[in-house]
Amino acid sequence: MQDRIKELLGEIETFAITNKEQLEQFRLRYIAKKGVVTALFEELKTVPTEKKRSVGQLLNQLKDAAMDKLKSKTAELEAAAMASAGKPLDLTLPPIPNELGTIHPLTQVWERIVEIFGRIGFNVEDGPEIESDWNNFTALNFPDNHPAREMQDTFFIEGKEILLRTHTSNVQIRLMNKQKPPIRSIMPGRVYRNEAISARAHCIFHQVEGLYVDRNVSFADLKQTLYHFAKELFGKDTQVRFRPSYFPFTEPSAEIDISCGLNRPGICTLCGGSKNICKGTGWVEIGGSGMVHPNVLENCGIDPEEFTGFAFGMGIERITMLKYQIRDLRLFTENDVQFLRQFETL
Amino acid sequence: MKISYQWLKQFINISESPETIGKMLTSIGLEVEAIYPVETVKGGLAGVVIGHVLTCQKHPNADKLSLTTVDIGGGVVAPIVCGAPNIAAGQKVLVATVGATLYPTQGKPFTIKKAKIRGEASEGMICAEDELGLGTSHDGIMVLDTDLPPGTPAAQLLQLENDYVFEIGLTPNHADAASHYGIARDLHALTGLPICFPEPFEHKVGSRREKIEVIVENTEACPRYSGLTISGLQVKESPEWLKKRLQAIGLTPINNVVDATNYVLHELGQPLHAFDLDKIAGRTIRVKTLPEGTVFRTLDDVERKLTARDLMICDGNSQPMCIGGVFGGKESGISDRTTAIFLESAYFHPSYIRSSAMHHRLKTDAAYRFERGTDPNMTVTALKRAASIIIDIAGGEISSDIIDIYPQPIPHRQFTVKYKNIDRLIGKQLDRALIRQILQRLEIQILAEDEATFTVSVPPYRVDVCKDADIAEEILRIYGFDNVELKPSLNADYLAEYAAPDLFKIRMELTKMLAAIGYHEIITNSLTKPTYAEALAMPVEHNVEIANRLSSELGVMRQSLLFSGLEVLARNISHRQKNFRFFEFGKTYQKQTKADGTTFYAENDRLVLFATGNQHSESWQVAEKKTDFFQLAGTVQKVLQKLGATQADPQEIDGSNLFAYGLAFVIDKREVARVGLVQMQHAKSVDIKQEVFYAEIDWTYLAGKLKQPTYSELSKFPEVRRDLSLVLDNQVSFDQIRRLAYQTEQRLLKTINVFDVFTGESLGSGKKAYALSFILQDQHQTLTDQVIDKIMEKLMGAFERQLGAVIRK
Repeated sequence: MQDRIKELLGEIETFAITNKEQLEQFRLRYIAKKGVVTALFEELKTVPTEKKRSVGQLLNQLKDAAMDKLKSKTAELEAAAMASAGKPLDLTLPPIPNELGTIHPLTQVWERIVEIFGRIGFNVEDGPEIESDWNNFTALNFPDNHPAREMQDTFFIEGKEILLRTHTSNVQIRLMNKQKPPIRSIMPGRVYRNEAISARAHCIFHQVEGLYVDRNVSFADLKQTLYHFAKELFGKDTQVRFRPSYFPFTEPSAEIDISCGLNRPGICTLCGGSKNICKGTGWVEIGGSGMVHPNVLENCGIDPEEFTGFAFGMGIERITMLKYQIRDLRLFTENDVQFLRQFETL
Repeated sequence: MKISYQWLKQFINISESPETIGKMLTSIGLEVEAIYPVETVKGGLAGVVIGHVLTCQKHPNADKLSLTTVDIGGGVVAPIVCGAPNIAAGQKVLVATVGATLYPTQGKPFTIKKAKIRGEASEGMICAEDELGLGTSHDGIMVLDTDLPPGTPAAQLLQLENDYVFEIGLTPNHADAASHYGIARDLHALTGLPICFPEPFEHKVGSRREKIEVIVENTEACPRYSGLTISGLQVKESPEWLKKRLQAIGLTPINNVVDATNYVLHELGQPLHAFDLDKIAGRTIRVKTLPEGTVFRTLDDVERKLTARDLMICDGNSQPMCIGGVFGGKESGISDRTTAIFLESAYFHPSYIRSSAMHHRLKTDAAYRFERGTDPNMTVTALKRAASIIIDIAGGEISSDIIDIYPQPIPHRQFTVKYKNIDRLIGKQLDRALIRQILQRLEIQILAEDEATFTVSVPPYRVDVCKDADIAEEILRIYGFDNVELKPSLNADYLAEYAAPDLFKIRMELTKMLAAIGYHEIITNSLTKPTYAEALAMPVEHNVEIANRLSSELGVMRQSLLFSGLEVLARNISHRQKNFRFFEFGKTYQKQTKADGTTFYAENDRLVLFATGNQHSESWQVAEKKTDFFQLAGTVQKVLQKLGATQADPQEIDGSNLFAYGLAFVIDKREVARVGLVQMQHAKSVDIKQEVFYAEIDWTYLAGKLKQPTYSELSKFPEVRRDLSLVLDNQVSFDQIRRLAYQTEQRLLKTINVFDVFTGESLGSGKKAYALSFILQDQHQTLTDQVIDKIMEKLMGAFERQLGAVIRK
């Protein structure tokens, strides 16, 4: 009997099952009530007691092998059947056009800026666009009747007292009036300049302001923060240059330049090789910065002997144009879908 | 502001190239925006050399031409055919060699090539004045009187100087650097190279025949007034050296007297004004303001009405001659007939000059400097300098003593600076000796010093240096911003909390959701046409108007985001296809009045949505279907859901200027969203001819009410569905059915939905049929048929009684 079982084991293994009929034949032959396995279990009763144990084990092995094969082949055939049933004519036909929308490139850069500064402890603050002269100019240490006011062409609403903010720096004043140091915020928003709309100028654009006021905040901290920003946004090889400049509300003041060709000679990446942004200097300006002027702190009731701070401001359009090599400012407000689609990828 | 490289080198002997100097200036806060070469002669006469005519004979084939051989240096003898009648052997001439490009005074530039002229070889050209762009003369070639050998560049012979101009974007704080000397002074601070002040000039009073009286009536506007007279001079063209200097920085020479004053202005930064002495009535100068509205004719022949703040230089009869520090008068200026002048050199108060310059829109070189603040201690020096130049080039003699009215000398600013504050601001401790050296080179004197502090004395020409922080800036800009090292790590002493609700984050989440379901984000101008608010019948008095508008097209701030979005739609439709979905996060602006009558400006954040055209682009699988109200309403629903506003009540909007039909969503009696079909006239006003659906959502209000969800136990028992078909009057809304259903069965009814809507004659006119599904579920037990039937009967009864519904069995 043992030989017979062994023979059957071999038979099961080699039994060919490639379709449903063969599967049924296999079942009938081995597993069904009238199959060989059942018959052998009947026969086991006749085996002498001393051999019963070993033959029984062998028989169980045979039964398991048959069951396993049946199960696996059943699954295999079912899967094959499902795959062929109802298969479309052509899987490469265009799918249902659930179109993807897009996020405006300015918003994408805006979000990236918030994220980069968020990582180093800056939160986001907001302020109004229709602003008083005090918050937009006077409190920021712009003297009356001073050429500094001319640096920004202003839209006026009511006399000279109510105006459209020319920069996001008004939020600095509002923030320092409502919150005492430490303050660590960025302030993105829309600003206005009285300029005719062209490829290089617009009457509206967006800026992001930054402010950090605490004990012992230094120019070195300012440099460090903006290095972090520039490298995160433009890549780790980006060089940053600080150039002395003048803003009434900071002292010392610095313009922030980043390397246009990542400082490789002859390469002018941000200008796309045209040198029309860096003018061949290899540097492009991304914003202004400086140490908060003591007069500004005083205007907000903060003691400049106790606290120092830095502030910076950058144009979001400017940064977006550099990042994507966009040459015309008007594209941002025209919102041509063909333009928007160019920025749909992550 | 333009600075000449050669002129600058008169004050500081700096050997670096213009490019290097440009970088140095930029690094200390004098931003060089451009550097360009200045050519006194176009092309710089490159390739033009001295030639020695060795032989000269008649051209065999042409009467008027000569055949010459010319030594052009370097052992080369070139055959040249020349047409000039005055050519002769032995002459020294100017030869344009092969390859040289000439820029003639008239006509187009041309390049010299090897040629055959009437059969004879010619390798160069012997030039006349006009051919080289040196003048207008074409009376034969230039014959030189020189010992210089053949081959010497013409530029060397004519002493053409290679000059470069720095275009400096001078920031308003740097009045001190608004001159060549001022720039040199800052370069001295950076490099330590010695700086030479223009030669001390002899100041000899020739005779004292001119007596002139100066009366400064307004000493606030004019703290210092200096002047002198020069008599016996001759007004004429300036000498070459002077014209060259002025032309290099873009000025047009006028005459020797005016040019000399301009020269000193750009040399020392002190504006000067020359009056024709004979036109000063009563030989008296009165410095004063005149009554508002006084008429004055300026040099540009424009009649201007003066303001009471215009400081005027008047004559003895108080007749105005000049807007002090801004612009001269038509009558009192220098003319060809002038033989005696009064030369003015003053220090005017910056704010007076600025208001005059702004009011009259006169941006003169003088006003540019005065309004930034000139050096009050420079007036007499500059006066002497100008006088000595004028006498040198126009003759004459100083005919009066120097008048100098300076009742209250402006002192040096003195204050004490703490080293601690400098170190703290820079973030690095600089060597004390270095600090002292930098300040000394900047002419900031240290009067006293101890361990912790030092006292400085700052000359008044450094107008922006008043405090510790200013001293820190001066030190740092010379030390170099790039020399402040980065620390090993970023300062993270304080991490600011995010606001709650975090509006920016919420906005981004909604943005991403909308983009994912096919909406394009747009960003539009918030300045717009006033007619748009009118079209929507928004109160005109709520318009925020721009007083100094660019154009009426951009004359007000928008009260609605509708039109700027429609403009974007129109633009896209005109370009390509017709199916669009857009959204914008933007503000609307309104001028409003409080109860107490005071005005304020409201800025409201809105999310707006636009949908037009078909729901999908063309597909082999999906039938073409127009965008409809329900599609956009579905998006609004999604946004409201995200903002936790699922309980908003829908209310139909009647008689709207905005919508042909539409729905408002209301929470606590406040409208939080509305959606509808835009009135066709609005679309047509921007040339859109298809239906546009539009929605507005007051998302910041809803964001403010967002609550974190809390978990509630999931039901272990199955949901049961029952369907009903109701025949209803057309005016019965689904919202009524929904409310009534929830009111009738508050506990077990989970959701109610419409899965079919039918209208047709079979129902009778004014009737419709809704097929409704009801999902019921009990938290605590499995619903029995008995309970379910009871609920459905209750609902049917309510629908029949309260809504007049007929239940279709």
